[in-house]
Amino acid sequence: MADRSRELSGKSQVISIEVNGELHEVTVRPRHTLVEVLREKIGLTGTKDGCEQGVCGACTILLEGRPALSCLTLAIECDGKKVRTVEGLANGEKVTAIQQAFLDQGAVQCGFCTPGMLMSATALLEKNPKPSLPEIKKALEGNLCRCTGYNAIVAAVRQASGQGVDPVMQ
Amino acid sequence: MILFDFQYERARSLAEAATLLASLGPDARVMAGGTDLLPNMRTEIARPAALVGLGGITAAEPQVDAEDNIRIDALTRLAAIADSPLIRKRQPMLAEAARAVASNQIRQMGTLGGNLCQDTRCLYLNQQHDFQFVAPCYKRAGSCCYPFPQNKPDVCWSVYMSDIAPALIALEAEISIVGESGMRRLPLEQLYSGNGLKPFTLGKNEVIEAVIVPATPARSGYGYHKSSRRGGLEFATSVIAVALRLDDALMRCTQARIVIGAVREQPIRAEAAEKALVGHEVGAAAYDAAAAAVHEIKPLPHHGFTKSFIVDNLRVYLRRVLAHAVERARASGMVA
Repeated sequence: MADRSRELSGKSQVISIEVNGELHEVTVRPRHTLVEVLREKIGLTGTKDGCEQGVCGACTILLEGRPALSCLTLAIECDGKKVRTVEGLANGEKVTAIQQAFLDQGAVQCGFCTPGMLMSATALLEKNPKPSLPEIKKALEGNLCRCTGYNAIVAAVRQASGQGVDPVMQ
Repeated sequence: MILFDFQYERARSLAEAATLLASLGPDARVMAGGTDLLPNMRTEIARPAALVGLGGITAAEPQVDAEDNIRIDALTRLAAIADSPLIRKRQPMLAEAARAVASNQIRQMGTLGGNLCQDTRCLYLNQQHDFQFVAPCYKRAGSCCYPFPQNKPDVCWSVYMSDIAPALIALEAEISIVGESGMRRLPLEQLYSGNGLKPFTLGKNEVIEAVIVPATPARSGYGYHKSSRRGGLEFATSVIAVALRLDDALMRCTQARIVIGAVREQPIRAEAAEKALVGHEVGAAAYDAAAAAVHEIKPLPHHGFTKSFIVDNLRVYLRRVLAHAVERARASGMVA
């Protein structure tokens, strides 16, 4: 077994991260994950800390435009990078099409998975504005909804992509 | 669960990573995407004193070299491999295998080199660390193999789970390794030691730099299948990757590589199944003979599946995968 008593040397370092267009300078230790820094140091609690194993997808954010799991990303690795969180979607009171579609379709139950779902769906729609049903499912496969509200969520993505809700889904 | 403290160094090139590894000592580890290493660090299966981060290095695009091989940078993201038009056209099995890995987010973060170097897994080893600290197993320098108490201290039956390695081995891929003393090439098959305690033959300060996949000859076909409990986001129950070649008449199999993954400490070549196929006319009888030969694979009863379930699973899917591979070989033969 590794020697647990040895001296640890995780020196703090100041990093700068651009979160939702705003530059933040924060002091982090190497062991701090991005989700910890977003929630506890920057104060953006929209991103949820779920399984911490990269399974549930609740902590999904966009890192340089790509969906990433902030629980498996070291904050120190994000120095100089751009992050988008769920707080960066709405512009004041004006929500995005995908957020409105989640409201319209009732794609929110307990709401814990919703920020991650919204970020995965946003990344999908930005890359592929008219995704097919299998493409939607593949893009959202890393986001688990323990209320099993998947049909409504997929319907919301279809609505936001302007394809109309599949009658089978209702 | 809060991570323990460690030192972090960012490498600007792979050569620098090798130098950093050497200077940081034996307790340092390389981290590429981190999707395997960080969960293992949370459960303290891995407890490195220092990490050399490769996140700052930009991967080159996959490209065709002078000898018509595809050269893929080891730091290429799995999503980029799954979506690459070049790889989808020239090596569709590799794109399919990359797409089979975990979830979209993990494919966007994880790298090819990292996937090939992921640690082996076992139901006991991958428990929460509280259990492990009561009684660590051999892989954690403990004094017993709890799932298999008859095992000796140098035997660890943890299972190697990569979805991509079997496909690359079937395609006869090689890896290029960078170390302090320069570069070397190695067939991917030889990267694996077959010992769960130390599954890789990489040297202490070595890092995989690129994967080189040779061009597929005419009349070749491939078949790939990953079985898992659920469709997405799950480690495999078994992975089957087949690359075969037919004769001019598209009737007889002249070459076959059948690789089975996620059943033992390393990807396994199903040599008896290959022998049952090569030189024979392809068709139901040949598929049956090859599928029957998977009994030679002695799967480890991992993830709660029994040996007999895994062998049955392999037998059924190998037959289908072979039929697909032959269809594809015939289709490519006709175009040529």
